[in-house]
Amino acid sequence: MHTRTAIAAAIAAAFAAGAAAAAPPDWSKVPAKKITVFYPGASPIEWIMKGTEHGGARGIRKGETCASCHDEEAADMGKKMVTGQKIEPNPPKGKAAAIPVSVQAAHDGANLYLRFSWKQPPAGAGAKMDADNPVKLAFMLEDNKVELANIGGCWSTCHEDSRTMPGVSDDKKTKYVKDASLAGGKFYDLVQWKSKGKPADGYVADKRVMEGGKALVSAEGKNDGGNWTVVFVRKLAGGEGDVTLTPGKTYNFGFAIHDDHAAGRYHHVSLGYTLGIDAKADITAAKQ
Amino acid sequence: MADEQRSRNALARLWAYLRHPSPSYSILTIWAVGLVIGITFWGGFNWAVEASNQMEFCISCHEMENNVYREYQKTVHYRNRSGVQAVCADCHVPKEWGHKIVRKIRATNELWGKLTGTISTPEKFEAKRLELARHEWKRMKTTDSRECRNCHGYEGMSVEAQKQRARKQHEMAQKDKQTCIDCHKGIAHQKPKGMTEEDEG
Repeated sequence: MHTRTAIAAAIAAAFAAGAAAAAPPDWSKVPAKKITVFYPGASPIEWIMKGTEHGGARGIRKGETCASCHDEEAADMGKKMVTGQKIEPNPPKGKAAAIPVSVQAAHDGANLYLRFSWKQPPAGAGAKMDADNPVKLAFMLEDNKVELANIGGCWSTCHEDSRTMPGVSDDKKTKYVKDASLAGGKFYDLVQWKSKGKPADGYVADKRVMEGGKALVSAEGKNDGGNWTVVFVRKLAGGEGDVTLTPGKTYNFGFAIHDDHAAGRYHHVSLGYTLGIDAKADITAAKQ
Repeated sequence: MADEQRSRNALARLWAYLRHPSPSYSILTIWAVGLVIGITFWGGFNWAVEASNQMEFCISCHEMENNVYREYQKTVHYRNRSGVQAVCADCHVPKEWGHKIVRKIRATNELWGKLTGTISTPEKFEAKRLELARHEWKRMKTTDSRECRNCHGYEGMSVEAQKQRARKQHEMAQKDKQTCIDCHKGIAHQKPKGMTEEDEG
């Protein structure tokens, strides 16, 4: 009888622990990192690395990250580009220059929890490029293998010959990584939440694939009086095209918001940051 | 013997002439007149050099007025919160006399350019802009941006008071012993089209 009770108690405890593990953390206790996403204009990686255009190319070659120069001026940069003062031949009318976002992360040994919250900027007067989705939020993770991913976050996937870039008529070519290899880990894991459509769990390798990922558990967003909150639950390990997250390690991380029915490059993006799983990083997902 | 005597006589005559150069004027008078003429010429020369350093002089040619001057008017060296203005010569003509004269002599080349109309139209100017800019970049690089340093210098620079990007760039530049023009091309004029990575060097 005693043995049976003990087994039952152990099973119950295990279930309880399991249930607790699957529950999102108490976000009020998770530190938030303020990251300003900004309107990037037409600034593909080719432009970034061109010293005659971008004075920071020299710093990048020396191993300096984009954030080490631009982190504090992201909003100012967004203003220059969204108004067409710099590298934007097609300035979107009335679009916000930048959006400050609070980013929180935690994990429970099985899942990563990522929470983004921001205030909805006023709507612009431009065309509704994505009529179905007023808002989308995507993040990318990279396991320190793609060239420059540790320096420039998502920029290694952003190229001058991709769709919606100036002078590009191909409307199918999306993001890609040079010398991509899914098997070799040279890819970005990509997850996107959409305000209307279903979330996407894909990757960016030699092309962008918006399906097939096995890691995403859920992506839910809500708009509470103009304040958006989007929470992703993602398994630490997934399948092909999913970066496996290991405690003690850091990963390259960046995210983008397609605000005001935007599509393609007309988004607000973050600079490159690091996400640490129980490790010191720009954003640390500590075990709850 | 006779040769020696002749040479002695010549020296004596020269000495006598130097002591009494004129039967009508005293040495003091001649010296005073010479001094006035000397001062007038020297002063006049320097006045002319300085006059050619004025912005009004530079933009009296339409080639400068219509192109580089208008671009410069949009930059911080023309208009800024403190009201300090760097005019053409502050950047393009050395302050130190010897270097200044060398620069002025070289600048006479520009007269030939003016006569033959090498940059007489906006199209001709655009076609030549990169070549002209490269001359100036090379000059500044060779002199460790001497003219920039008449006003700017690492020794007086508080990088901690600068914005993040400027701070980072200046810290790196100091460490790598870079000179101002290495990064600050196009600071007072438009950057030329067709620049190469080597130009950026």
